[in-house]
Amino acid sequence: MKKKKILWAGIFITGFFLLILIVSFFYTPYPPNSMNGKEKFLAPCWAHWMGTDNFGRDIFSRVLAGLSTTFFVGISVTGIGAVFGTILGAFTGYFGGWLDEILMRINDALTAFPSILLALVFISILGTGKYNIILALGIIFIPSFARIVRGEFIRLKELDYVKSAKLMGAGKMHIMFVHILPNAMPALLSAITVGFNNAVLAEAGMSYLGIGVQPPDASLGKMLSEAQSFLFSAPWYVIFPGIVIILLILGFSFLSEGIGS
Amino acid sequence: MLEVKHLSISFPEKERENKVVLDSSFTIEKGEILAIIGESGSGKSMTALSIIGLLPKDARVSGEVLLENRNLLDLSESERRDIRGKKISMIFQEPMTSLNPVMKIGKQLEEPLLLHTNLSKEERRQIVYQKLEQAGLKDAEKICSYYPHQLSGGMRQRAMIAMALVCQPELMIADEPTTALDVIVQEQILKVLKKINQEEKTSILFISHNLKVVKDFCDRILVMQDGKIVEEGTPEQIFYAPKHSYTQKLLDSIPKRVKRPEIHLNTPKVLEIEHLNVFYPDEKQGLLKRKKHQVLYDISFDIREGEVVGLIGGSGCGKSTLSKAILGLLPWKEGEIKHYTDFPQMVFQDPYGSLNPAKKIGWILEEPLKIQKKFTKEERKQKVIMMLEKVGLEEKYRRRYPRELSGGQRQRVGIALSLILGSRFIIADEPVSALDVTVQAQILKLLLQLKEEFQLSYLFISHDMDVIAQMCDRVFQMKEGRLYPVESGGNYGKL
Amino acid sequence: MKFMIKKIITLVITLFFISIAAFLAFQIIPGDPVLSLLGMEATEGQIEAMREQLGLNEPLLIRYGNWVLGLLKGDFGLSYHYQIPVANLLKDKFPVTFALAGLTILFMFLSAFPLGLFYARFAEKKIGRVFQIINQTIMAIPSFFLGIIITLIFGLLLKWFTPGKYISYTESLTGFFGYLIAPAAAIAIPKTAMIVKFLQNSVLAQRQNDYVRTAFSKGNTENRVLYVHILKNACIPVVTILGMMIAEIMAGSIVVEQVFGLPGLGRLLVASIEARDYPVVQVIVIYIAATVVIVNGIVDILYRFLDPRIRVEA
Repeated sequence: MKKKKILWAGIFITGFFLLILIVSFFYTPYPPNSMNGKEKFLAPCWAHWMGTDNFGRDIFSRVLAGLSTTFFVGISVTGIGAVFGTILGAFTGYFGGWLDEILMRINDALTAFPSILLALVFISILGTGKYNIILALGIIFIPSFARIVRGEFIRLKELDYVKSAKLMGAGKMHIMFVHILPNAMPALLSAITVGFNNAVLAEAGMSYLGIGVQPPDASLGKMLSEAQSFLFSAPWYVIFPGIVIILLILGFSFLSEGIGS
Repeated sequence: MLEVKHLSISFPEKERENKVVLDSSFTIEKGEILAIIGESGSGKSMTALSIIGLLPKDARVSGEVLLENRNLLDLSESERRDIRGKKISMIFQEPMTSLNPVMKIGKQLEEPLLLHTNLSKEERRQIVYQKLEQAGLKDAEKICSYYPHQLSGGMRQRAMIAMALVCQPELMIADEPTTALDVIVQEQILKVLKKINQEEKTSILFISHNLKVVKDFCDRILVMQDGKIVEEGTPEQIFYAPKHSYTQKLLDSIPKRVKRPEIHLNTPKVLEIEHLNVFYPDEKQGLLKRKKHQVLYDISFDIREGEVVGLIGGSGCGKSTLSKAILGLLPWKEGEIKHYTDFPQMVFQDPYGSLNPAKKIGWILEEPLKIQKKFTKEERKQKVIMMLEKVGLEEKYRRRYPRELSGGQRQRVGIALSLILGSRFIIADEPVSALDVTVQAQILKLLLQLKEEFQLSYLFISHDMDVIAQMCDRVFQMKEGRLYPVESGGNYGKL
Repeated sequence: MKFMIKKIITLVITLFFISIAAFLAFQIIPGDPVLSLLGMEATEGQIEAMREQLGLNEPLLIRYGNWVLGLLKGDFGLSYHYQIPVANLLKDKFPVTFALAGLTILFMFLSAFPLGLFYARFAEKKIGRVFQIINQTIMAIPSFFLGIIITLIFGLLLKWFTPGKYISYTESLTGFFGYLIAPAAAIAIPKTAMIVKFLQNSVLAQRQNDYVRTAFSKGNTENRVLYVHILKNACIPVVTILGMMIAEIMAGSIVVEQVFGLPGLGRLLVASIEARDYPVVQVIVIYIAATVVIVNGIVDILYRFLDPRIRVEA
């Protein structure tokens, strides 16, 4: 009962963000990059819900633009990680053997690196930019998905209904993807929501450091680092993008909690 | 000594009360062993928990539980705590999980003394040693320094018993204390309980689902069904002159040994095994080097058409390994396994694990037919309906998920699944041990009925001698990976 | 003992893999490091001499060997950007990051366990649920945003510390740690919330176990069951995530150092990435990874020690 409420809270928050995201594709109150020298540092008001920044840009419109970058990066990264991680985890978990052994060693070594550190290494080699971030984080996220899926496959392949399917003459692929995968879905879905959060956090952190998403792409993390200089004179500049990140992450963590039960 | 009057227990659920115990009254005399018998959901465990005061917090209880003229149900929580472990103690079904895994046995055993007495450390230790020995555990000092996982199941249960005894309680509640144990250990535990009952005059309230277990053990039996006490009497009355129809049903569910015509030696074989050795790879040593160790040694036997061959043995003796090897689910084997029928199949022990929880029953039953690619959609549907009917399930169950079915119904689906490809040799691996006794009797009957109808042969694996006796024409016993034949008509009840 | 040796061997192997990965990763970067060092107007002769001096004309394997030997001896090579040995560059950065991480861990330990227990005790009551929502929200705060907010409230509004005015440990040790409190809190608070949640889940899961019922049947009080029986069982799984937390703290410090203008490894790392100063990046990456691996190894051993079930098998 309580868990159900958490799931609904997650669906509500995430749904709300998706809705305004879709709206923002067609309409933002102001063009996110249009500057207006006369309207610098306006506090939140009717015309500018979240105020304006040092160039007189509407923060609300910029947050919307940043949100779409965040979603784009988050979804792409989780997508890359989940697809390749699932395939890798399914095969290594089901077949085991030396390939599994080697991949798990690599996995162990990779988990020693904080993901943002690995991403920084990738970026220092690949260069900055939205697509490089996606590529770097996507590759880095593969092992964590692989580990979860592998664990589920190892657990599920020993169950009687899998043995029963083998006795019926079902092929290996059939067993893996028709019998085991659907039952591994709850764990995978939960991992996807967690992965999305980690991707959002990593992108925001890197953009904050100036080695993430580059202009003209808007980013919530980048906004925060710009806003920090005007912390005292325009606190709303920092607070609104920050709260949006927190709510977004909160929504997904509620989702993951709700799915987990 | 203890008197239960008009006890009712219910749990509030949406809109209505879920009543689990209804107006039950009984007494336990000093030094008496009273058994409460019932199937799952009969309210027997809830009754026991209400006496010791460990019911879930949302339970609603009415009536009286009188101990020394005090109604336990009226006492404050701290007054009840003073009784718990001191005057009334309890042992549970699963001795492994019922002991704290990270606390040494000695510390766990002395805890009731620590809570209820002012004895010194040395005095407490002496009592713990004495009770351990009383419970049949020698070398008490060593045992006290162990953690639970270092003891065998039987030893753990003895330690539990010793723990329940340290404060010399008036009443010990034993909730299915032997159910999770091997048969041989079961008998030993019962003996220990009986001995303690006689030496200490401790009353015992023994909860069980198994009438046969308590027959020679208790002084009086209560039979519970759906929260009500339906019959009460001495073992003689219950076994030989039952009054209530449910008691009769329970008695009928006890498997009976049946005399069967002998299978003729000319009957064709369905399975022939010669010199089978099975290995397991050891934990990896280094990255690629693997050692193996042998689990089955030189096994040879055959099964003929229409025959039921029984396989008994304690847990870990290799029964399940053998069945996997026969069905080709294990790669590490030597020797010959010849099947003379198509699609040898298996009925599994746990009806919860043997059906894919993500699929509907209809899908599950249809799948093997799809894999064989020999049938049209309509043929498949007809076959599924026909098979469901054969195992006593209506057509509507096709659209249900496994979780919507009871244990017995799932096991019926499991049987239907094993037969749907027209298999004529089935391995039944403990097919009824997870089921309630009356359901167990129905499933056994169904298996025998299907055997006649489809000319089936079974390899029937069980740890329950009575079930084996009812089902099998020939019996093998397995011990440490080797197979020994059991004389026909021999007394394998004592193995 | 056998387990310890095994563990140490896998630890060394993992470190070996990490060093290879870090070495190779920076070998595939396009561009000549000598040119980065000497600049575009260097002559052929200068370049050749530099190559010889840096050992770049040796085969890959020898270069790797030299590099690892150098690492072990504390010779980390030359920074492209600053033209000074990396070791000199790192010398006064290590203590800052170390102190920050240490303080963070201290904060986490001091707060996570009391909070976790409090929460577990009241989890089924109304106050527990309110607490759960708060805790979940705290978990969602990125540490750098928390750092900014702390700067705003405690630095700018309450003036408890002066943002950006870092005090070196050579100047004043108390001033140094005083300045580290705010960044350490920024990293520790969301991570603490995570541990609290984990501990609380673990306690609630343990509550379902049969041994808890046994403990009650002996006449234990609610508190005694929680502290004597459940707590140790519940802490064992928490230990495993502590290892993971070390990685998170390191990651957190990279960003949070930037927020508070701390001259630690994180800030040097970010600056070096921007300047493409690969020798520095390489060493910092190895340092952080090695720290995480070694701490994880220790946690693993600790875990074996805590759980008697595994201790015996090992």
